[in-house]
Amino acid sequence: MGLNEHTAVQTPSTEPSRSTEFTTFMRAYQDMVFSTAARLAGNDSQAQDIAQETFIRAYEHFDELRSSPAAGGWLKTVSTNLALNHLGRYRRRWRLFSEMTAGAAEEDPPEVQLPLPDRLLEDLGKEQQRAAIDAALRRLPEHQRVPLVLYHFEDLSYQEIAERLRVSLAKVKTDIRRARAAMLPMLRSAGHAGGEWQD
Amino acid sequence: MREPFDEEQGLEQLLNRTLRELPLRRAPPSLEARVFAELRRRAALPWWRRSFAYWPLFARAGFVATCMALVGLAFLEGAWAVARLTALSPSGAPSMFWARQALAALAGAAKLAALIVGAVTPAWLYAVIAVSAALYAALFGLGAAAYRTLYLSPTIAGDP
Repeated sequence: MGLNEHTAVQTPSTEPSRSTEFTTFMRAYQDMVFSTAARLAGNDSQAQDIAQETFIRAYEHFDELRSSPAAGGWLKTVSTNLALNHLGRYRRRWRLFSEMTAGAAEEDPPEVQLPLPDRLLEDLGKEQQRAAIDAALRRLPEHQRVPLVLYHFEDLSYQEIAERLRVSLAKVKTDIRRARAAMLPMLRSAGHAGGEWQD
Repeated sequence: MREPFDEEQGLEQLLNRTLRELPLRRAPPSLEARVFAELRRRAALPWWRRSFAYWPLFARAGFVATCMALVGLAFLEGAWAVARLTALSPSGAPSMFWARQALAALAGAAKLAALIVGAVTPAWLYAVIAVSAALYAALFGLGAAAYRTLYLSPTIAGDP
């Protein structure tokens, strides 16, 4: 696909109409790109870096993207890949310790608190719900948060997540199960507290 | 009584419903300015400081040609050197003097190392091995503790 070919970066100020058009394009997608990056990275500062790099790549391919109906999907894929690359850079540095500690941690999956409610955070407004879920996601360790986000937000299957993260299918399933079980009490607590975090 | 599988499925569906209804986060207002500032900065860079894909065609062609010439030259030089070495007699080549000197120095260093190892008692050797192992274990433990404390610990809500 032509989107993967490189084109030279040109000065935005020398092309006012292109700049204006790109600004409109960016405003249409920046919340989606930033949300994708923030959920995966679990850190706003890193998410801004990832979103910035995503839009710089979009600018390089803007001639093709400006009229493409797949622009949103392209941006989501690029931001997801950049976030995973960004996380992978750090993960590789600590892989030895990660593998050493992961085995012990997976032996005691937390139990699901029963009965399960029909809905979570239903008494909260949408923004409060978002804040509570973002806070809960941030509290998850990276090896649980990333597969959970890929599964529930990016619609990837367990197998696809295992391939993307280069870990076993069993580990992906365990991590997602643990992440869900860890999120449930956090969301319940946030729901009872009206969106305010309760430790 | 609910089976564990049902519980897991129920939790998956519950979280799916909750997460899918989530509104997007608003991107920081500074993002737009950051993107344009970075685009301007990159556009202002001279071509040789950009990635190879952005180099002018003549520069890319020149770079590839130079690299290929250097690789070819290295192969030719290697083949020439091997041919010269096999042609020379071990004693009569003045150009081989430095090589013999280097070999003699290496042999001397090896003898010295062997003498030192021979002079050291087994008790000393065991002590050195034990201390090295202890230091390695300490470093490993320190790394693991740092990883658990600084990296694995979940970030508290609102923390950067």
